[in-house]
Amino acid sequence: MISGALLLLIVPLAMAGVVYILLRWASLSALLAVGTALALGVAVILLPLDQPVHFWGGREITLGEAVTFFGRELVVEQVDRWAMAFLFLTSAGIFSLAWRFVPHSLLFPMGLGLLSLLSGALLIRPLIYAALLIEIAAALSVFALQAEGQVPTRGGLRYLTFTTLALPGLLVTHWLLDRYALMPDETGLLDMAAALLAISFALLLGVVPFHTWVPAVAGGGMPLGGSFVLTVANGTVWFLLLDFLQTYPGFSSHPRFGSAVIGMGLAMVLLGGGLALAQRRLGPLLGYAALVDNGAALIALGTKGRLGLTLVLLSLLVRPFGLVLMAAGLSGLRACNGGADRFDALRGLGWKAPWSTAALVFGALSVAGLPVSAGFVWRWSLCRALSPSSPGSVVLILLAGAGVIVGIWRVLLVLLARPRLPKDRSVLSKGDSTEGWLTAVVVAMAILGCIGVGLFPQTIAPLAVGLAEAYTFFGP
Amino acid sequence: MPTLGDLLARVSFLAAMPAVAGLFVTGGVLVISRDWRLNVTALTAQYFFVVLLLTRLIRLEVAAVKGVVGWMICMVFYLTERRASALERPTNAGDVAPSQRWRRWIVSARASFYLLAGLLISVAAYTAALRLPLPEVPTDITLACYLLAGFGLLLIGLSEAPMQVGFGLLTFLSGFDLFYVALEPSLAVAGLLGAVSFLIALATAYLRVTQVVVGSGEEIL
Repeated sequence: MISGALLLLIVPLAMAGVVYILLRWASLSALLAVGTALALGVAVILLPLDQPVHFWGGREITLGEAVTFFGRELVVEQVDRWAMAFLFLTSAGIFSLAWRFVPHSLLFPMGLGLLSLLSGALLIRPLIYAALLIEIAAALSVFALQAEGQVPTRGGLRYLTFTTLALPGLLVTHWLLDRYALMPDETGLLDMAAALLAISFALLLGVVPFHTWVPAVAGGGMPLGGSFVLTVANGTVWFLLLDFLQTYPGFSSHPRFGSAVIGMGLAMVLLGGGLALAQRRLGPLLGYAALVDNGAALIALGTKGRLGLTLVLLSLLVRPFGLVLMAAGLSGLRACNGGADRFDALRGLGWKAPWSTAALVFGALSVAGLPVSAGFVWRWSLCRALSPSSPGSVVLILLAGAGVIVGIWRVLLVLLARPRLPKDRSVLSKGDSTEGWLTAVVVAMAILGCIGVGLFPQTIAPLAVGLAEAYTFFGP
Repeated sequence: MPTLGDLLARVSFLAAMPAVAGLFVTGGVLVISRDWRLNVTALTAQYFFVVLLLTRLIRLEVAAVKGVVGWMICMVFYLTERRASALERPTNAGDVAPSQRWRRWIVSARASFYLLAGLLISVAAYTAALRLPLPEVPTDITLACYLLAGFGLLLIGLSEAPMQVGFGLLTFLSGFDLFYVALEPSLAVAGLLGAVSFLIALATAYLRVTQVVVGSGEEIL
C-alpha cells in the first residue's frame, strides 16, 4: 500500500526534474507542469481519505494514511486536503498562463519543486518542520523569481531575507510553548511566544513595516513567479498560521489578539491603497494591490469570529483570480515593451496587447474588490460584517480599493491612448495584436473564471465555509 | 593518525572567549571589507569558530558536519566569485580613472562608516548578552549569538548586492543555529538548517552569476 501523503510530495518533485529536462520544448514542459498540478489537485479532492484506491498493477493508494518520513509524521487531514487542492489548482492556473506569457522559464520546474515543499509544510508535524520547509521553499523561489537573461531584481533576495528573519521566531516559539505546557504558571513564556509568533508571521505576510518584499517580488523580473509567491506560498503561510492558532489556542484567546491583528491589517490596507495610487510603474502597483488584499484578510481574522475566519479562507481561494490575472497582464505588456513597465513607456500598448490589457484590468478589479469580480465576493461581505462595529475600517478598506482602481485607471488611460504619429495609428487600426489566439483563449478562460466566481459565489463560498469548520479556535 | 576528536582537543582551549573574539574579528571583516577573497576567508574562519563553540553544546560529529556544510558554502562562494571576477576583468581592465584618488577616499569613508556601525552592533550585542541572557546557553555563547545575529542583520541592511546579503543571511543563521542547537538537538532539524544554509548560498551565487553575465556590475534593480 502506498501512502497518498508521500505521493503528494514525491510526484511533483519527480515531475520537476522531468519538466526541467524538457524545458527546451516550451509547450511540452508547460503542459506537463499544468497536467501534473491539475491531476494532483483533482486527485486530492476526489480520492477518499480513509479507503484504499486500486491503481495499475494492483497497487493501493490510501490518501489519509499517516506515513513516517525521516522520523516525522506526514498525514493528510480533511482541512489539509482542501488547502492542498488550492495549492495545486492555483499552480495549474499560473502554469497555464505562464505557458503563454513566459515559456521556457524556470517557473515550471521550480514551481513543481515548491509545490512539493509547500505540501510537505502543510502535512508535516510538528510545525517547526513546516517553518523549515517554507524557508527552503523561499530559497528555491529565488530561481523562479529571476527572469532569464535579465538583471537580478530585489524581489527574490528580499523575500528570502524576510523569510529567513522569520524562521528563528517560529522555531523558538515552539520550544517556548513546550516549556509553557510543562510550567503553566510561567505566563511570561506565553507572552514571549505570542510576541515572537506575531513578528514572524508579520515578516512572512508582509505586514507594515516588513512589507518591502511584497512590491519587490511583484514588480520583479518574473511577475507570474511573484504571483506564485503571493498566492501559493503566501496561502501556505496563511494555512500554517491557522494551524498554529488551532494547535495553540492560547494565542487566539490572548486579550490583544484582535486589536493587534486588526491594527496590522489596517496599516497594510492604508499603506497599500495610498501607495498604489501614487505608483508610476505597473509592477509595484501589483504589489501594493496584493498588500491591500492581505491586509483586508488580516482585518477579517481580527474580528475573532466564525464569519471572519470564513472570509479569510474565501479571500485565499479567490485571490489568485485577481493577482495571477494582473501578473499575466503585466508579463504580456512587458514582453511587448522590452521589459519596461513605467506608465509613460506603455503609451498605446493596449492596442497591441489587448488580452494582456484585459487580464490586467480584470485582475485589478478583482483585487480591488469591485462588483462582478471574484474579489467582490469576500470584500463586500467583510464590509457588511464590519459596518456595525467598525465603520472606520470599512471606509479605509473601500478607500484602499479605490486607490488600486485609480492606479489602474491611470494605466488604462495610458495603455489606450492613441499613438501620436499618424503612421503608427494606421498600423494599430488594422488590429495588429502581438498575441496569438491561444493566448486569447487562455486569458479569456481566466477572465471568465474571475467573472463567473463573482456572479456565482455559491460555487466557491461553501468550500470556505467547510474549511472554516475545521478550525475551532474561535469557538464552534 | 590523529582523529577528529584529537584535533579538536588540541584547539579546545579556543572554544570559549577566544572563539567569540574570533567571531568578532571575522564578522567585522565581513562588514567592512568588500574584497571577496578576504570575505570568503573570513566566512571560512567564522565557521571554524562556530564549530568550536558548537562542540560545547552538541556531539562532536554533528558539529563537524555543520562545519563541513559551512566550508562547502565557502567553496561555492569562492568558485562563484572567482568566475565572476574572471568575467568582469575584461570590462574593468581599461584605463585607470583620473578620479582614482577620490574613489579611494570615498571607499575609505564607507569603510569607516561600516566600522563604526560594526562597533555599535558589538556594543549592543555585549549589552544584550548581559541584560538578556539566552536560555540554555552560557554567557560567552550568548554573546557570540548576539554578535553573529547583529553582524548578519547589519550586512543585510548595508547592501543589496547578492553576495553581501548572502554573507549576512548565513552569519545571522549561524548565530541562531548556535543558540537553537541547545534547545533542539534533533538531527533532522540540524540537517534541515544545513540544507537551508546551503540553498541560501546557491541562490545568492546564482544571482551573483546572473548579475555578472548580464553585465550590470553592482547594480540591482
